[in-house]
Amino acid sequence: MTSGIIFDIKEFAIHDGPGIRTTVFLKGCPMSCMWCHNPEGQSRQPQVICSPTGERIAGKEYRATELAALLNQQAGILRANEGGFTFSGGEPLLQADFVAEVIDLLDDVHVLLDTSGYGKEQDFCCLVDRSDLVFFDLKLINSKAHHQYTDCDNALILRNLQLLNEMGKPFVVRVPLVPGVTDTDQNLADIVQTVRGLSGLLRVDLLSYNRAAGSKYQYTGMEFKPDYEESGELNLNTLLFEQAGIKVTVV
Amino acid sequence: MSERLITLKNRVRAGEHHALRQAVPIEILKECETGELSWSRRVACLVRRQCEAERVILEPDEQIVFTRTLPGVPPIYSAEEWAQLTTGRTLHEFGPISNICADWNLLLSQGLLGRKQVALATRERLRDDPTAVEFIDCAIETIDAVLGLSARYTREARQAGREHLAVILERVPALPASTFHEALQSLRLCQAVVWLSGHYHVGLGRFDQYMWPFLSSDLEAGRLTVQTAEDLLAEFFTSLNKDSDLYPGVQQGDNGQTLTLGGVTPSGDLAVNELTRMVLRVSRDLGMIDPKINLRITSQTDLELLGLATELTRIGLGFPQYSNDDVVIPALVSHGYDLEDARDYVVAACWEFIIPGRGMEVVNIGAVSFPAAVDQAIRVGFTAQDDFEAILNRVSENINEQVTHLGDAYSRLLLPPAPYYSVFMEGCLEQGKDLSEGLKYNNFGIHGACAAEATDALAAVKQFVFEDGCISPDDLLSALEVNFVGYEPMRRKLADEGPKVGNNDAVADRLLVRLFDDFAYACKKYGRTPRGGFLRPGTGSAMYYIWLATGHVGMREPIVGATADGRRRGEPFSANLSPSLGVRTRGPISTLQSFAKIDYQRIFNGGPITMELSDTVFRNPESIRKTAMLVRTFVQLGCQQLQLNSLNLETLLDAKKHPEKYKNLIVRVWGWSGYFCELAPEYQDQIIARHYFESG
Repeated sequence: MTSGIIFDIKEFAIHDGPGIRTTVFLKGCPMSCMWCHNPEGQSRQPQVICSPTGERIAGKEYRATELAALLNQQAGILRANEGGFTFSGGEPLLQADFVAEVIDLLDDVHVLLDTSGYGKEQDFCCLVDRSDLVFFDLKLINSKAHHQYTDCDNALILRNLQLLNEMGKPFVVRVPLVPGVTDTDQNLADIVQTVRGLSGLLRVDLLSYNRAAGSKYQYTGMEFKPDYEESGELNLNTLLFEQAGIKVTVV
Repeated sequence: MSERLITLKNRVRAGEHHALRQAVPIEILKECETGELSWSRRVACLVRRQCEAERVILEPDEQIVFTRTLPGVPPIYSAEEWAQLTTGRTLHEFGPISNICADWNLLLSQGLLGRKQVALATRERLRDDPTAVEFIDCAIETIDAVLGLSARYTREARQAGREHLAVILERVPALPASTFHEALQSLRLCQAVVWLSGHYHVGLGRFDQYMWPFLSSDLEAGRLTVQTAEDLLAEFFTSLNKDSDLYPGVQQGDNGQTLTLGGVTPSGDLAVNELTRMVLRVSRDLGMIDPKINLRITSQTDLELLGLATELTRIGLGFPQYSNDDVVIPALVSHGYDLEDARDYVVAACWEFIIPGRGMEVVNIGAVSFPAAVDQAIRVGFTAQDDFEAILNRVSENINEQVTHLGDAYSRLLLPPAPYYSVFMEGCLEQGKDLSEGLKYNNFGIHGACAAEATDALAAVKQFVFEDGCISPDDLLSALEVNFVGYEPMRRKLADEGPKVGNNDAVADRLLVRLFDDFAYACKKYGRTPRGGFLRPGTGSAMYYIWLATGHVGMREPIVGATADGRRRGEPFSANLSPSLGVRTRGPISTLQSFAKIDYQRIFNGGPITMELSDTVFRNPESIRKTAMLVRTFVQLGCQQLQLNSLNLETLLDAKKHPEKYKNLIVRVWGWSGYFCELAPEYQDQIIARHYFESG
């Protein structure tokens, strides 16, 4: 019996995959992206959030059976509405055993894994195996830049991407557009090079940056320190993808 | 929308027609007094004189005419006489009959002359019954008055060279309507005269049912295209917005001018037709607050229609409101409504299910204050050292007492005669009986208000006082007494950690269901009212969500102070069926699941689950479709009524000022959604700016 830490459960998460979905946010992430919009998802430990609505604790421990039972109360509804559950974070791979156990306990329902791809191969395979669809984040292909902006090396991520494709699981690559950082023609072209020809790729989602990334930091006692110009105009160069025959949407 | 319609709408929005209004209401009191007229004759005289005093207004670009110029409804009794007449009696709200629905098909299929023929035949048959004869004479006086008004409109239209209009006015409302245009003109004039007679919350009933035959034959014969029909419909809807400022209500816009779409026919077939969709489209494109639209749906309703309805929700008017036929119809039937009548229900001014032309029901005689019932039980129960079960029993007694009190007050109900409104009710002219004497259905409705806070208070007491024992009864009593000043940790525990309604929580929801079961039992136990009906329990809160917290002049219900759910004195309650303000829920699915547990076969007076969705939720066709699925889920879970709101600027601004009230307000930020109140002010401002530009 495993237990895990969740920092939120959000129903009717209409942008987190097909149909009506409920998203489970796993607490803890090995990366620290400069633009992270869920700073309370970074630490593994429950923490106090002091917002204008008052204090609350972000992070609650659930036993796998307990969480599965809670989710199963609505599995039928989500199934009937072309949806299911999305496991996001934080980074679900960090709590792979827990998430796997929860998924195993779920009724027959669509499962989507929303991951940065940064995790042990074994954990990655374990969760991909149990998912029907994967949202896979690609931020920066240049390894040095990736390190600079996320504090992590991207070799593991790129390897897991190949693995995902070999596993034959359908997936969507999601690119958070950060002005002057991830939206450069060079990076987008690198991403095209990286994903071109991957047989499981359904499409690429370009996620627009909207200058609200830092809003929650002050409530978590953390500091938001972008070294890029937040108000910079985004480069929505979808043409690069289209020319390579890759389906692309701007979300 | 055509240029013509945009101009018409802008003129109405700007209130240009207000300049056409007469300075003062007419005066008829003397005439009533010198003639020593009976009450009924005074009302007829009022209707006649109002019609006679109306000026004919022919706006050059209007195809459906009637512009009200009279600014008010004059008194027909002096203050002293009125006091004498009504002493010891209960008047409903302002007094006149309101919030019922005519059978407008009687007008459209028979015309006023047809109705007059019915009246004359009855007069002949009942010539020895002076009461019946007087009623019939009064009704005929009002029919003739409307015909007189329409004749003046006809004459002036002809003189102005508006021949097409003159031909229509020559036919209707005197004769049965033969085209969609005639039907709209007939309804416009006759419904406006109901308002002119002092009635209010004048509903339009099953518009897509009684209007469809006219539209359908026009479309078939090529007299209208979809485009020209929509144009007429938009003009009709615009005309309904002309006099909002003259209608009585708690707030402007609270005028109950509703119409009901969809559902099933009296024989049980699906009733959705092309006009159903046309009304949704036109209302969406027009974006005006009247008419307020209700959509009856079933588990068979297709997603396409729900998607169209969601597009209407999206523009932020707060409608359509959905009612679930699968739940409502059987409930009405099990409470004595004939199946065909139940299938023909419409939604009254707010939520209640009534039968057009067949109901003289007073569906909102007051509210049971669940917070008061619970609060009193907790305080008295603690003092008496009750266990939790004993407190629950006190709650039941309190609810019963409140129901009895309301029922008794309305046993003295006095309804003024309504000879003109009676013309459009089934059986009045046929039997020589005024509407106020009763129709086929004569029930009263009571709403159980603010159930979520009351339930949360009970659940908190159950858990923290009786199970965990971490809060003592004395401490809680002291904290309530001083409005939690100095007891903030306790208040936080009560507010944040107890079981809450809206999260599909078994403990809280069981208590919620119990409150409503008690309420249903109390209404049933009350039995028959002197008007021959019974009490229908419902789930609306109306303005009580403010009033019960802060008080209001003339309110029968007690004010509630600080409550055991951690709510401070004076803080408002949540609206209708929705989680307590400030409670964090997982979202709409759990909330629907919570409220689905109420037994709507016993709680059947209406009152919606009320949900706020950010208007950013409705941004693309995919999310519109998902919202439509959410509505379908509401039906599939067996809930009764649903109101979905798209949030607007005003709400967001209020959320900025009072973030504690809007913890669940979700906004789309970029590739993710966030809680509005957890965003830093500058980000909130950014979103507000976005909304502002979108809505401007």
